[in-house]
Amino acid sequence: MLPLLELREKIKNFYKQYDAYLVPAIKFIFAFIAFQAINKEIGYDVRFKSIPIVFALSLLSAFTPSAIMVLLAAAIAILHVFFISPILSIIVIMVLMILYLLFLRYTPNQGYVVLAVPVLFLLKMPYFIPILLGLISTPVAMVPTSCGVIVYFLFQVIKTAVTTQTGISVEDIMQLYTTVVDNLIGNKQMIMTIAIFALIIMVTYSIRKMSFDYAFEISILAGGLTSILGFLISYLILNKSGQILGMIVGTIISTGLVFIVHFFELTLDYSRAEHARFEDEVYYYYVKAVPKVTVTVSQVNVKHINSSDVKSREFSEPDTDETEEYFNYDDDDYTNF
Amino acid sequence: MLNFKKIRLMTKLAVYENKEGKEDIYLSKYYKQDYVRLQVIKSIISATIGYILIITMIGFYRMEHLIKKAVSLQYKTIGGYILGFYIIIITIYGLGSYLGYSMKYDASRKKLARYFKLLKRMEKIYKESTHEY
Repeated sequence: MLPLLELREKIKNFYKQYDAYLVPAIKFIFAFIAFQAINKEIGYDVRFKSIPIVFALSLLSAFTPSAIMVLLAAAIAILHVFFISPILSIIVIMVLMILYLLFLRYTPNQGYVVLAVPVLFLLKMPYFIPILLGLISTPVAMVPTSCGVIVYFLFQVIKTAVTTQTGISVEDIMQLYTTVVDNLIGNKQMIMTIAIFALIIMVTYSIRKMSFDYAFEISILAGGLTSILGFLISYLILNKSGQILGMIVGTIISTGLVFIVHFFELTLDYSRAEHARFEDEVYYYYVKAVPKVTVTVSQVNVKHINSSDVKSREFSEPDTDETEEYFNYDDDDYTNF
Repeated sequence: MLNFKKIRLMTKLAVYENKEGKEDIYLSKYYKQDYVRLQVIKSIISATIGYILIITMIGFYRMEHLIKKAVSLQYKTIGGYILGFYIIIITIYGLGSYLGYSMKYDASRKKLARYFKLLKRMEKIYKESTHEY
């Protein structure tokens, strides 16, 4: 465990020191993956598929707020669909607008979830998002997560509709429209996925809020278990047993990823250095304020330090059995009486 | 000479102003009632547009049915349904955003109070330093 803890501290320090470059880099990688996934999935318009354009868009979203990235992704997806069928793109725009106007405008800080869920669906591990959000967010996160699921299934429906599209007469258009709406509304898998994701968020969140040892770790495991059980039941009901293995592997990987995120602390964002610039009459100040590392409550050890053997304990590991020793000592004391 | 106490205070203020304070300070320009009312109106408008979109989509979906029975349709009942659901949705969104944005405003006020406390301390330091010179 100790080498890992040391590694964590090293990475955290590295992050603190170079966060000004690391954050855009991470955003760039995420944007690049997202745009590539969109292009791979519904890349009908070759112009947006060229690497220089994807590169430029990712670069743009690396240095702008995350809302820009979501907007760009939505715009690219709509343009791809527009290229092959303007009617379908109007449907997409309408659904996205309904989602935004009725739900997403109330959770402006979690807009990235709507992009992350479909992208992770394509990478076969969307389970990562609900477990993570249960861990770091509140149940309100159910709203953007559900919208993300709807967006993913909407584009799945669009993808199949594109292949069946034929004429441009009014009847054909109406036919196309009704099949898309039918497939979207009657999509049992979508509704079940929304319900299971909401359940995962609730389970992870409520266990995380309880006060016992390792509540965070147990909540992650419970989230993973909820996911496996929930999707197992839903796949058995829907007769899609072929997807079970992939789902279990995906959930295990997602749970592992959440564990890694948790290990490097949820609060990477809080341990970020702040850059402030201000002035008074005499000076200009360019201050980099680095927060002090605070130990979370669950990691506090009871340490019993005797003045006589401080030296021998000085270099002991933080996770040794000092607590046990302390209590044993107490027990002995009582038996002596 | 550098006054480190002052720098620490100024840094805290600057970090707050740059990040979460931005919105709090923006909110402080409104009275609570004005802010909440504005937000309620905004959410009612957006809910209305969303509702209109949904109705349009349903309308298109039922287009064939509508055209076929255009003469015999009971427009009063349909209109009643549409209006009824509209009233329900508007009530939910209006009340919800009234409560939500009131809470948000109160929370931002609390944070601002802390900010003003720091500002006052800052003022004190300034006064002390001007006495010295």
